[in-house]
Amino acid sequence: MIRTIIHISFLRLWHNKAELLLTFIVPILFFSIFAWIFGSRGNSGATPQLKVVACDEIGSLLTQRTREILEASGSLRFHRMDKSLATSPKAVSREAAESLVRRGLVSAAIVFSSSPSDPSTETPLPTVEIMADSFDQVASQVIVAFVQKASMTAQAEFAHQNASNTIRMQQQPTQAGFLEDGREAQTLSNLTPDETLAVKAAAMSSSQQAMTTSETLSGNLSSISIPQITVIDVLGTNKTNPVVAMYAAGIAVMFLLFSATTASGAILEERENSTLERLLCSRMTMDHLLMGKWCYLVMIGCLQTTLMFTAGWLFFGLNLFGHLDGFAVMTLVTAGAAASFALMMAAMCKTRTQLGWVSTILILSMSALGGSMVPRYLMSETIQSVGQFTFNAWALDGYNKIFWRELPLTELKTELGVLVTCSFVFIVLARIFATRWDRV
Amino acid sequence: MVADVHLDASKVPGSFHSTTLTPALELLNVRRSFGKTQALQGIDLRVESGQRLALLGPNGAGKTTLVRAICGRIRIDQGEIKIFGESVIKASTLDQLGVVPQDLAIYGDLTTLENLRAFGRLHGLTGKELRFRVDWALEWIGLEDRKHHLTKSFSGGMKRRVNIACGVLHRPKVLVLDEPTVGVDPQSRHRIFEMLDELSAGGTTIILTTHHLDEAQSQCDRIVIIDHGQVIADGAIADLIEHTVGSERQVHLRIEGFLTASIPNLEWDPSREIFIAAVNDPAEELPCLLQRIRLCGGSVVDLEMHQPNLHDVFIHLTGRELRE
Repeated sequence: MIRTIIHISFLRLWHNKAELLLTFIVPILFFSIFAWIFGSRGNSGATPQLKVVACDEIGSLLTQRTREILEASGSLRFHRMDKSLATSPKAVSREAAESLVRRGLVSAAIVFSSSPSDPSTETPLPTVEIMADSFDQVASQVIVAFVQKASMTAQAEFAHQNASNTIRMQQQPTQAGFLEDGREAQTLSNLTPDETLAVKAAAMSSSQQAMTTSETLSGNLSSISIPQITVIDVLGTNKTNPVVAMYAAGIAVMFLLFSATTASGAILEERENSTLERLLCSRMTMDHLLMGKWCYLVMIGCLQTTLMFTAGWLFFGLNLFGHLDGFAVMTLVTAGAAASFALMMAAMCKTRTQLGWVSTILILSMSALGGSMVPRYLMSETIQSVGQFTFNAWALDGYNKIFWRELPLTELKTELGVLVTCSFVFIVLARIFATRWDRV
Repeated sequence: MVADVHLDASKVPGSFHSTTLTPALELLNVRRSFGKTQALQGIDLRVESGQRLALLGPNGAGKTTLVRAICGRIRIDQGEIKIFGESVIKASTLDQLGVVPQDLAIYGDLTTLENLRAFGRLHGLTGKELRFRVDWALEWIGLEDRKHHLTKSFSGGMKRRVNIACGVLHRPKVLVLDEPTVGVDPQSRHRIFEMLDELSAGGTTIILTTHHLDEAQSQCDRIVIIDHGQVIADGAIADLIEHTVGSERQVHLRIEGFLTASIPNLEWDPSREIFIAAVNDPAEELPCLLQRIRLCGGSVVDLEMHQPNLHDVFIHLTGRELRE
């Protein structure tokens, strides 16, 4: 009996191709997607390039050299306001640099300012301020390390150079007493005893001078010190709970997609039990039906997101009412795009089961790539670029601009534009796929 | 056996053809192909107002395609379909049409009342008219006391009644029912036909597709049989019987022993291994037949009298071969 049950179960699995795929292929697919997303960092062997901007208020040789070392490191990518001004040390003002950080165009701004303690020295040791965006919690720490390393390397180079100059100056008159090309022995044998003594005395004097050079060099190197680096969180300082603002959007968008696709499956159920046929035998057209469903999904999506952010406000101190206009616009547009996506998926699929597994794969992949699960700054640059093709990335960027960066609505033009376009394209595709249910 | 009798609807005695009034439903040379398959091959049909028509045919004959064409759900390659003289593709024409699909096309997670209101609105009913029609429907289907219950909790018969009610709320002049009694018990079936009687009495034209030939025979006053996308029989049941298998009663006989001579009007059916005789007046002809069999050396061990019915007509016209 048990054998028969096992046999029947295997036969049913074999005949149900969708279940077969879900059981054996989908896990491999998911593993591959996640391995690709997070494993690709290992292949490059380096952290993704961090976008920074430098503001050099001193413009000394030391700060310029520090900047050059940072640029040469390859781990930082410097933002250029204007290529023509790129070489100018004060190309970017402190205010402009801070604005770039606030707008999310760079991860941090490196500001070299004069050290108030010792402004009179020839190459004053700068005070470095890292104006960081704590949205990327790793970036500021990495940048601090890089700046420390670059600054100390630059100081060491200058110390070495200064020491070399001093030594050269000290050695200049003595070197004239030496004979060239190793002909010392041959020459000494040809000298008179008095001349030989004179040369040996000169050699001893030279040895003493070498000892002085070494002391000079050590003296210069000992002047190298760790630069004073201050990290300023330009975005997160005034926020009650910055992490909530960051993750609320990610989770909201992912669940918006899940709930919309589940609800859109009703159209497949209606087709299966002939309710769709009956609906279309009435005054209703397919356009009415899709628009009705779209409006419903948008309303549910807006309600769902509002409830989630309200919970964030109630329990985690999220500043919802301070950004109500941006939240309303962003939620409406995101819910619209999610509704269109869900209807397109439903119109593409033949059965509710098929819709279930296809949408699960797609939504989880998009959420992983788009930053709903793991912040995108942790991904490699290639994956971050791929993430731009996902619906989630744009929605998350929009919400982050509102709640994290506190930017005005005008700064959301790109995100809103992309989401509205997505919404339109998806609903048009849904209508095209739905023609198979239309009058044929 | 392949159908060998093709009746032209217009020539069937007793058919309800009228040239003076606008027909409730009119199909003129309707053709539709799906790839190489010709689903409808020039269907001509005229259904007068108030008629109850049974649309019969074996699986794959083209019934569903025809019903969907009547409901405006598929485009036809050629011909015309009109409801009260108006093309079926017009939105206004659809208001005159009620559709009851074979599947339970209602929302199981809505109550009876919510289902009725929803489908009423879809057919343009609003306000007082909607409330009046919903109240009427609840009474008509006998589910007033269950109006706040979710329909998914109902029995098959109750769901069927709600399914029908949703199709007639807007008082359609033509009602198309696709196998409305599938999977229901005799009591529910009886109730459903009572409901259809009421609609018919109110002047609604009813087009019913079914595989229950006894239902078609008892509930409809006109039978249309289609096969291979063509109308192969059309008329009242009596006329169809007369023109196909004949109205004579069939006597099925099992005989032991060998008949020494052939008996007029007694034929051997090798497939069923019985003798068949046709009699017009059993009281007069049957004793003579039995006498002759005995005289020829046969002994009748079993006898069955069979009056020709729609089943015989159907099998006669469409054959016994299995379809899709």
